[in-house]
Amino acid sequence: MKMMENISMAFCSLKSHTLRSILTMLGLIIGVGAVIIVVAIGQGGEAMLKSQIIGSGNTIELFYQPSEEEIRSNPNIFNDAAFTQEDIRALEQIPEIKQVVASSSAFSSTRFQEKSVDSSIIGINAAYQDLNELNIQKGQRFSTSDYISGRRVAIVSASLQEEMFADKSPIGEVIRVGNQPIEIIGVLEKPTGLFSFGSVEVYLPYQTWKTVFGKSDITQVTLQATSADDLQLAGKKAAQKLNSLHNTEDSYQVINMEEMAQGISQITRVMTLIIGSIAGISLFVGGIGVMNIMLVSVTERTREIGIRMALGATRKQVLTQFLIESIILTLIGGMIGILLGWGGSAIVAGFAGWPPLISWQVVVGGVLFSMVIGVVFGLLPANKASKLDPIEALRYE
Amino acid sequence: MIQLEGITKSYPIGKETINVLKTIELTIDNGEFVAIMGPSGSGKSTLMNIIGCLDKPTSGSYFLNGEDVSHYKDSELAKVRNESIGFVFQQFQLLPRINALRNVELPLIYSGVGKKERMVRASEALKKVGLGDRMEHLPNELSGGQKQRVAIARAIVNQPKLILADEPTGALDTKTSISIMEEFTRLNEEGTTVVIVTHESEIADYAKRTIMVRDGVIVSNDWKRWGHDV
Repeated sequence: MKMMENISMAFCSLKSHTLRSILTMLGLIIGVGAVIIVVAIGQGGEAMLKSQIIGSGNTIELFYQPSEEEIRSNPNIFNDAAFTQEDIRALEQIPEIKQVVASSSAFSSTRFQEKSVDSSIIGINAAYQDLNELNIQKGQRFSTSDYISGRRVAIVSASLQEEMFADKSPIGEVIRVGNQPIEIIGVLEKPTGLFSFGSVEVYLPYQTWKTVFGKSDITQVTLQATSADDLQLAGKKAAQKLNSLHNTEDSYQVINMEEMAQGISQITRVMTLIIGSIAGISLFVGGIGVMNIMLVSVTERTREIGIRMALGATRKQVLTQFLIESIILTLIGGMIGILLGWGGSAIVAGFAGWPPLISWQVVVGGVLFSMVIGVVFGLLPANKASKLDPIEALRYE
Repeated sequence: MIQLEGITKSYPIGKETINVLKTIELTIDNGEFVAIMGPSGSGKSTLMNIIGCLDKPTSGSYFLNGEDVSHYKDSELAKVRNESIGFVFQQFQLLPRINALRNVELPLIYSGVGKKERMVRASEALKKVGLGDRMEHLPNELSGGQKQRVAIARAIVNQPKLILADEPTGALDTKTSISIMEEFTRLNEEGTTVVIVTHESEIADYAKRTIMVRDGVIVSNDWKRWGHDV
């Protein structure tokens, strides 16, 4: 007998018990859907964590960590500037480096009229504004001349605006940082990411920051390489350059982002695996539901099986018929589950603000897995059907 | 065509063994119309099942069309049932959820006939039993007599040489019974061997030969004169 006959026969008998078929599928629909959603959340979360930690540009952070020996020989080592402006200029000469992002931060109270808020005051260079995508919701960005001349202007975070100005627009208002008057020219958008806490921040052009605090050290340096492939090389060269400039052995280092990214992948993968296997249990339960219904169906259709055998169906053909029926049941359930998972993870992605990630592997895996469930849990009922004695089966009431 | 040699059938019930059939010797030639009669528990149904290859004898040989089928495997017996035997049952045994045409098609599915040819042959068979206008009806939309005609169409659709009918009129009224029996007579006149199991002598009268079974043995084996009285 041809496969198509079996398939159309299976559809026919599933259609004659529409409600029961749908309810049976429900277990698989939910199971497959849940697995897909969990995997998509895992992958989406991983992608987002990575982009938050590594940044979307191919950037790498330089940091200053003197060895214990150096600290012992020079106890005041931390009073010196970690990075100087000469360092920045030297780094910009390295061909693999596209731009150098430099910033300094300090903590200070910020005042407007009677209100006073502790905030971090961050001095940035032009590259910082490019790379960190400081999105302005109101007002304007720093212009090139603001950086060069060190105008007394600031861009503040949305939470600072909320705390100090409530609903009023702060553009054009003058706040005091330390004792210096600074005019607000822009307000940042509220951060949407998972790890942005909406801290109270004031951004100043680096030159302005220097005058306000009266010091010229740079606390944070991030490099952007010309290409992602050159990133590690650029970082290495930069660290070497700084170590030679400062006469240190290994105090300037780069964080190996690749290693960090791998670590994150590993964590999210394990988490996805754990939650995914819990969702997998529901798939298993769905499979048992299929087996249960197929067993009921075999008992209910005992007479049909007897008739088919009397008319010339072999045991193998009866087995195949029931097996295909359960495979089709699980396959349809699996496909609906994939659609559900697709929709579900798109919704989750919409809320969490990460791209909906459904890999074709998950879809193919879902289809294959539901087929396997169909076979595994259909085997027992189908076997039972094929073992019936035709005479007994024909007499069954 | 049908040749039973020393056929026995016994079932173990607990520690006892029940001998349902005791050394049956029977030959039915091609084109015969035979009625098997006997009270309930006589073993006539078991005999019928063995002739129909639904059951295997405990001992003895069964030659069907010259082949010893008594030692055939299940799958080989299925093939024999499909190609050489047409069954008609007391309870019609139609699949309730598919229409008359699809019911008649069933044996052809298992002999691997393509869809188009199946439709043609199934509708021919239905026309032959006078149900050309009922092909799309579900079994529960048909009367008892019509259901049995569908069953007969299903039995003849694969053009078997042998038709086995187990109490084919048991669930029908007298008038319908007569028309069904006339159908069998017609098939027999066309050359098909017909074997009917019944306990009604009026039905057995249609047959040319009546075999009486009692307590697992054949007690009489009578050829009648040609024709019959209604």
